[in-house]
Formats: sequence, structure tokens, C-alpha cells
Amino acid sequence: MAGVRLAKLSKTFGTTRAVREVDLVIPDGEFTVFVGPSGCGKTTTLNLIAGLEGPTSGDIYIGDDRVTEWEPRDRNLGMVFQSLALFPHMSVFDNIAFPLRIKKVPAPEAAARVVAVAKTVRVDHLLDKRPATLSGGEAQRVALARTIIVKPAVFLMDEPLSSLDAKLRVEMRTELKRLHATLKATFIYVTHDQAEAMTMADRIVVMNGGLVQQVGPPLSLYNEPVNRFVAGFFGVPAMNFVEGHLADGRFTAGPLRLPVSLRGPARPVTLGVRPEHVRVTAEAQGWPATVSLIEPMGDETLVFLDYGGPASLVAKVSAEEAIAPGQGRRIAFNAARLLFFEGESGGRIAP
Amino acid sequence: MFAVGRHAVLLAWTAVTLFPIYWMLMTSFKHAGEWVTWPPRWVPHAPTLENYRAVLAPGTSTFELGRQTLKVLKPLWDSLLVAGVSSLAAVVLGSALAYSLARFGTGGARYPYNLLSIRMVPPIVIAVPFVVYYVTLRLLDTYTGLILIYVATSLPYVIWMMLAFIDDVPIELERAARVMGASRFRVLGSVVLPLVTSGLVVTFLFVFILNWSELLLAMTLTNTEVSTIPITLNKFQSANEGRAYGPQAAIGTIATLPVVVLGFVIQKHLVRGFSFGLIRK
Repeated sequence: MAGVRLAKLSKTFGTTRAVREVDLVIPDGEFTVFVGPSGCGKTTTLNLIAGLEGPTSGDIYIGDDRVTEWEPRDRNLGMVFQSLALFPHMSVFDNIAFPLRIKKVPAPEAAARVVAVAKTVRVDHLLDKRPATLSGGEAQRVALARTIIVKPAVFLMDEPLSSLDAKLRVEMRTELKRLHATLKATFIYVTHDQAEAMTMADRIVVMNGGLVQQVGPPLSLYNEPVNRFVAGFFGVPAMNFVEGHLADGRFTAGPLRLPVSLRGPARPVTLGVRPEHVRVTAEAQGWPATVSLIEPMGDETLVFLDYGGPASLVAKVSAEEAIAPGQGRRIAFNAARLLFFEGESGGRIAP
Repeated sequence: MFAVGRHAVLLAWTAVTLFPIYWMLMTSFKHAGEWVTWPPRWVPHAPTLENYRAVLAPGTSTFELGRQTLKVLKPLWDSLLVAGVSSLAAVVLGSALAYSLARFGTGGARYPYNLLSIRMVPPIVIAVPFVVYYVTLRLLDTYTGLILIYVATSLPYVIWMMLAFIDDVPIELERAARVMGASRFRVLGSVVLPLVTSGLVVTFLFVFILNWSELLLAMTLTNTEVSTIPITLNKFQSANEGRAYGPQAAIGTIATLPVVVLGFVIQKHLVRGFSFGLIRK
């Protein structure tokens, strides 16, 4: 078992700074998810940890060892790739047995271990097949079996579920969580899907433009984002952002006027409010708005409201609510849940 | 309707391509009197092995072929040796080069194109300087000399063909093997090689045919010690031999055989291999 530590880790491709001075401690046994838009440096960071790329500067530690220059095979890792990377010219059995053969495990022992691990991921009936004949979920589990058979201390996963359909993806999430609980190994999982990150992670590392934006448990990132990027990345539908102005203890955006307790000089700031914290009421309080569009989700309904400001607001309301486009309503906010960001930098303004 | 028309066109084209080979085969079994007749004889009137006897075992034939050695066994052996060894060496070296170009970007992005430009030079341009080199290096008229130049001229083909095959192997397969503990050589042996076998076989056949039928460099760089099949065939064009179409056709048939046999042996790789680059991308 081993944790992973990155120290001022950087990787530059030509003029592109893919990873920029990343300092990060990934504790032993934790399920850590790297998340961010494509090109944010998350996969490069994973490849650096795996040793498939060499860093431009900085260091990588696995357990107590500085492994920066080590070959991938010496790092005691398991890796599942986006394409799964099953060897097409080998049977499922040979695919799973491959790491054992490299480690020169005697054939009878290897065979027994392959069958055992195939049983745990329920692919023991497929051992004679070729990868090309497997379904997406089966191929996924074979790739897992091949990785867990040597019991690596650290598991690296690069968007392993992206090739699956939506239903299977949700199932596999649960299965991976269960696997993590059983193996108690360090999992480092890369995805661009915020829902995957939220549901699976012990801790999430949000990256953008090669920089780590924020590290923390899913709910703390959701509720206490450090900047506008992180705030906008999590949540479906995304957080509402209202560009406005801060002056004299008041936030102004079009007809919106909110008393706030923020200090500092008058400047442009952005209000962030999640759809579930926007209330749609018929009461006298709040700001008048017109319902422009509704999107029923079954359990809840998304309501798009024009209030005369720069962009429409999205509110999440109960599906019971009788609401229709064209209706006039009033909107109010859950004052405690309002977030403010600097207009220029996007950094969160502490309340 | 479209399918019928397409088949008709393909059949007609096949006939056009195969006709010279058919004619050569028929002529090789014809008596001297039938080589040039009008109207042409589509099949030999009385098939004979006379022509084969003349080229395979001189002296036993009823007609004399002149003082030049029209014996085919020595050139056949020379050709097999030179084309076989040079093609094999070119495939081994070229695949290693292609791998390093594909995976490590050796020489930069433009390097493969520079390599290709070697093939743009007409062989005659390098033939004469090579005679000079070879005289100094004592490589003229030797197996080594001919093999060396064939390796050099085949390499760009091998590199380009193998580049396409290696590019088709997803790099994640190699990375997966490396993370699982495989050394670079193990990755090559267990993952890359099995997946490019068809490519290797097709590439070998391609350069083998190229070197098997090469005439110009062989003529320039050899004399009497080494003599390949194309040189032997070419001798029939000289005034010394007259118009010995029958024996010429017999040698031609014999020269075609190894390529055809090779083609049959590796048939299952051909279909896969020749579709390279056409699928995906």
C-alpha cells in the first residue's frame, strides 16, 4: 500500500504547459478523482505518475520512494486505459495472465489466480474468448481483472468508463467503488464527467489549464468552491452566474439589488447561485420575472426565468409546482447560499 | 445490374493483366516452329519440355543455344540468395527504424519524408558512382555488394510500409504492457510483433519482388561471378543469342514461380496486409 505525492510537478509539450507546478498529496488507500475539461492536464498528470511520460521538472513519490525517473514497470502500479487496451491477439485468459507471465509466476499458480480473479469480476465464463467478441461491460471487467491480478499498490484509471453506455456506466461506478472498498488500494481516477467525480471520489482534484484549482471532498467542492471555474464545473444544471457590480454594501445587476456584507472597493463581481437555491414564489417579496421555458425532469422541474438582467436564471423546483411558460412569478434567493466571485479573477470572495 | 457491369470490367482487366503471363507460359512449352507464327497458336500444338531442358540442362537439348551460359540454375540461386537476404535484412532493419520513427519521433516530423526522397533518385544516377565505390571497396561483382545496395534501396519502402502498420497498433496497448511490467523488448515481442506480422510478411514480399526483378543495378554492379535472373533474361535481347523465345519464356516462367509460390504460402496475410491504410484514418 502506498500513497502518492507530487512535488512541483510540471510537464511542457513544445510551448504548451500541460501540467504546471502541481503539488499534491494523495493519501494511501484513498479514492482520488482528477476532474476537469479536456486539455486540463489531468491525463498528463496520470501518465506522469505512471511513468509513461517524463516530467519537465518536479518529482513524483510513491510510498517512500522517489520514482521520478523509474520505468513504469518498477512502480508497482495498475492502470486501466480509456480504450481498455486489451491485447486483441490474446484470449481473455492470456490477457489476464499477461502480467503474471511477465513476473514469471509458474503456470499452474498463474492459471489458478486467473480463474480466481476472473470469478471476482464475473468474467470466468469468457476466458477462451477474444477481446473483440466481448461486450463493453465484459471488456471493462476483463481490463479490471488484468489490473487487479497483481495487487498493485496504486490503481490508475484514465476515463475507463467513457466507452460504456449511460446505464452500464452507472453500474460500473458502483462496482468500482466496491472494488476500492475490497482492495483498500490507492485509486487515482481521471474523468471529465463531474457526476462520476462526485459519486465516486473520496477527494476530488479539480484541474484547469494545467493548474490544480481545488482539492477536497465532493460536497465541500460543491458548496465551497474556491473560484468561479470550480463552482461552474459541478452541478447539473450548472450554477447561475449573474455579472454585476458591488458598491456600498449592495450587489446590483439590472433590476436585482441585494444587500451584501462584502467589503472592499466598488468593483465588478459575479453572483453565483445554484438552481436549487433559487425560489420561485407568488408572494410579494422578491423580483418579478417571467417564465420563459420549463424542462420537466420527472422528480423536479427546471424553470428558466427572465428577470430583466443580463441572462436568464435557472431554478429547480418541485415537479408538483403548477408552472407554465409565459407566467409571471417572483424570484427570491436563499441568502445563505449565495456565492460571490471577483469579476476579474473569478476568485471567490470570502463572506 | 451495376454488379454485373463491375464484374465484367474486373474480369476484362484480369484478362488483360494475366495475358502476358499466359503467353509466356504457353510459349515455354512450344517447339521452335511455333514461337512466331501467324495466326498465333493460343496453345502449343505438341507441348514440349525442350525449352526447359535447354535452360536447365544444356547439352541435352536438340538445339544449341550458343556459347553464352543460358543455364538458369546459377542465376536462380544467385537471385534467391541476393533478393532473399537483402529483403530479409531490409525488413528487419526497416521495421526497427519504422518503430523508432513511429514511437520516439526519431529525426523529427519531416524525417520520414526525407527518407522517401531517396526513392526519388533514379537508380542510374547512383549506379555509376557506386561502380567507383565498389571497385575501391572490392565489392564489385560480389554477393555482399549487390545485397548491400538492395538493402539500401529497399529501406525507404520498408520504413514507409511498416510505419503504417505500426501506427495502426494503439500506443495504449504498449503502455498497458509496460505498466504491467514488460520491458521495451518484451513489449515489442509480445504485443507489437504479433500485431504487425501480416505487415511484415507483406512488406517482405513487396521488397522481395522488387529485388528479385531488379535489373539496372545488378547489371551495373555485377559481371560474371554474380548473375541474377533479370540479367539472364536480358541476355536474350542481345544479338548473340538470336531470338530464342522458347528458352526465354521457360526462364521467365521459372523466375515467376518463386514469387507465385511465396504468394500462396502467405496468402492469409496478403488480404489483411494489402488493406493497410485503407481502413480507419
